[in-house]
Amino acid sequence: MQPIIRAFCASTLAVAASLSFADAPMDGPQNTRAGWHAAIQSGYDLLAEETTQLAEHASSYCTAPDEQLRAQLEQHWRDAFMAWQQVRFVDFGPVENNNLAWQFQFWPDPKNLVARKAGYLTNSDQPITADLIEQSGVAVQGFPMLEYLLFDEALSNSKNALPAPHSCALLTTVTRHIAENSKQLSDDWHSFKTPYLNTEAYQVSTLKSAMAALEILEEKRLAKPMGLRGNGKRNPYITDAWRSGTSALSVEATLRGLQQHFLPEFLKLLEQKGEAPLAQRIQRQFEAALDNFPGADRPMATLLSDDNAFRTLQGLYVDVSQLTTLFNDQAAVALGVVRGFNSSDGD
Amino acid sequence: MTALFRPAPLAITIAATLSTGCAFTNTAAQPEPVTKASVVTHYADVAHANYQDALITAKALDKATDQLIANPTEANLQAAKEAWLAARVPYQQTEVFRFGNTVVDDWEGQLNAWPLDEGLIDYVKADDYQYELGNAGATANIIGNTRVNVGGETLDTTVLTPELLANLNEIGGSEANVATGYHAVEFLLWGQDQHGFEQGAGERPVTDYATGSDCTNGNCERRGEYLDAVTDLLVTDLEWMVAQWAPGNENNYRSELTNGDVNEAVQKMLFGMGSLSLGELAGERMKVALEANSYEDEHDCFSDNTHNSHYYNGQGIQNVYTGTYRRVDGSLVSGPSLSDLVEANNPELDARLNAQLDASMKALGQLKAHAESSDNPMAFDTMIAPGNTEGAQIVNNAIMALVEQTGSIEQAARQLGIEALSPDDAGHAF
Repeated sequence: MQPIIRAFCASTLAVAASLSFADAPMDGPQNTRAGWHAAIQSGYDLLAEETTQLAEHASSYCTAPDEQLRAQLEQHWRDAFMAWQQVRFVDFGPVENNNLAWQFQFWPDPKNLVARKAGYLTNSDQPITADLIEQSGVAVQGFPMLEYLLFDEALSNSKNALPAPHSCALLTTVTRHIAENSKQLSDDWHSFKTPYLNTEAYQVSTLKSAMAALEILEEKRLAKPMGLRGNGKRNPYITDAWRSGTSALSVEATLRGLQQHFLPEFLKLLEQKGEAPLAQRIQRQFEAALDNFPGADRPMATLLSDDNAFRTLQGLYVDVSQLTTLFNDQAAVALGVVRGFNSSDGD
Repeated sequence: MTALFRPAPLAITIAATLSTGCAFTNTAAQPEPVTKASVVTHYADVAHANYQDALITAKALDKATDQLIANPTEANLQAAKEAWLAARVPYQQTEVFRFGNTVVDDWEGQLNAWPLDEGLIDYVKADDYQYELGNAGATANIIGNTRVNVGGETLDTTVLTPELLANLNEIGGSEANVATGYHAVEFLLWGQDQHGFEQGAGERPVTDYATGSDCTNGNCERRGEYLDAVTDLLVTDLEWMVAQWAPGNENNYRSELTNGDVNEAVQKMLFGMGSLSLGELAGERMKVALEANSYEDEHDCFSDNTHNSHYYNGQGIQNVYTGTYRRVDGSLVSGPSLSDLVEANNPELDARLNAQLDASMKALGQLKAHAESSDNPMAFDTMIAPGNTEGAQIVNNAIMALVEQTGSIEQAARQLGIEALSPDDAGHAF
């Protein structure tokens, strides 16, 4: 889950920002943030674009369902979901409003709440409206619900399989909800530029968001399903996107998102601090981690059950671990980032 | 079983009370100045007293369930439920010792693991039972079967002993396979909660423990054996933990903690407070349940006692900061505290954190009051129902109060020279 302490910090910071720092010339850290702002904006814009396409294709498919439209729809789900993975690391600012991050992706879902909620909605006589989705909680409102409708095996063999009317209604309403949220996020991020540039504390928020994302990637999205933590058993169901077989692809997308939207300014920052060798190592480590693909682009269930595939996954895990260490130990110390509590401290 | 009131806790209580008393009187000798070392020692005293209370109330629970098994009447079932509720009061306060103290974290799963797939233990109504994905043991029904096979592991469950149940924990590698602890007992007393967001907890009939033809849902004798074994195990487990915190033993955890690096010990105290406050209580236990409207994420789902679990978690956090603990017999344990240390360096921060801890207790108190209201009760699972704005507000207030206090806990850590709040390298070794 995304850290929640920042919900409180951000609103305080936004107020502070509007009271101070008017029209001053940009300093070094402001330049860094200007770079981050633009990069993240491009990521949010892509998300808005992909989710609009997804909503349109959901509507086309449900109006006149056929195999070709279905295949296109599934591909659009993948594209939109990967666009979200690329900006998923941003855990401060507008994405905190109305728990947008959780709305996009409620995860982990150990109790299969998504399936339970879908069953409840598709089996009830209540018409599926935008208002109903609004009130139905984060397990209904995001990509995992669409993934369930599109890819769940048990569902696809049942009477509720797409394009059953209620399932189609749920599909199209949720895609519109996601598209609206994405548009809102992109607009809000645009308006957020001034407070973001003028508030020094966002420097650390941005650094910490990338560090937390890598930690979640290493621990929750790789180590845990691989059985390297806790009881030592491999379990594909605790990764995200297991239904569509895109768990590993989504890891790649998160890494690419960090590389595109966060890394360039981060490397400059390290160089300014006289840490050019560390910057180079981090850049190389990113490339090493991404080199595991496309070999690792397989469903997590396959990666965990096949010994050869598992070795590929281990390679990816080791690369991500090293990256996390470079970030969270060495770079954090070099940049004086002190990490506090976050919501993943629980169990 | 009879509860053992040992002399040790009493002596500590009196000594602690006297020394605090002395601090405020002019006639007595000057008290020892508060140091990190004295704060850590007193922290161990508080933990010891708290675990002793957990043990005392667990023994009372064990006794009450023994009576229920011997004589399954409504009154005895009610008495057992009340004993369970009473046992949760001290135990939930001990959870603040969990994060940071690996000796507790490694041990607590056997006592308080949650959520659990109750179909492992006993019968469930299948159409309203959601279990953890990929859990091969979710419907094993140990009470109903003398052999269980979970994901290739076959176990003989003919004789239900405490050792057997301990071994069945996490069978098949799923953390949701919880065969033991408070929530297993809770399920055996209340049964599955089939009310969803509606008012009402589990409704297990007392005849589930009846003999002969009065027995409902089958296997009543085995159900009694299970309940007996699982409550015995709870008592033994708590005895072990009390011993870990007892003074005068060179080889226990208390000795390791108080003789180790004092800054590391202070870090553990603050880490425990912050982790329980933010990640666990505000996050996992409240925000996830609320935002997903998920009663499956409700903490004490069979008994609808979640409000008290949350309330006493919050109390535990305050206990550690203020160095005070109200024992189940009403006596007060108090002594040198983190609050004293912070106050000496930064009285403003100390006052703020104390006010925030009070505010959190007030917000959690609201949650408890609404759940326990006699005329219009609203339990936690009703508060988190879709569209319940009043309920959501109550839960959100508690979340926000906990989030705010966590910010000050971080500041208190820095004030005391503790920079890194990550516990050891737990979970990062590879």
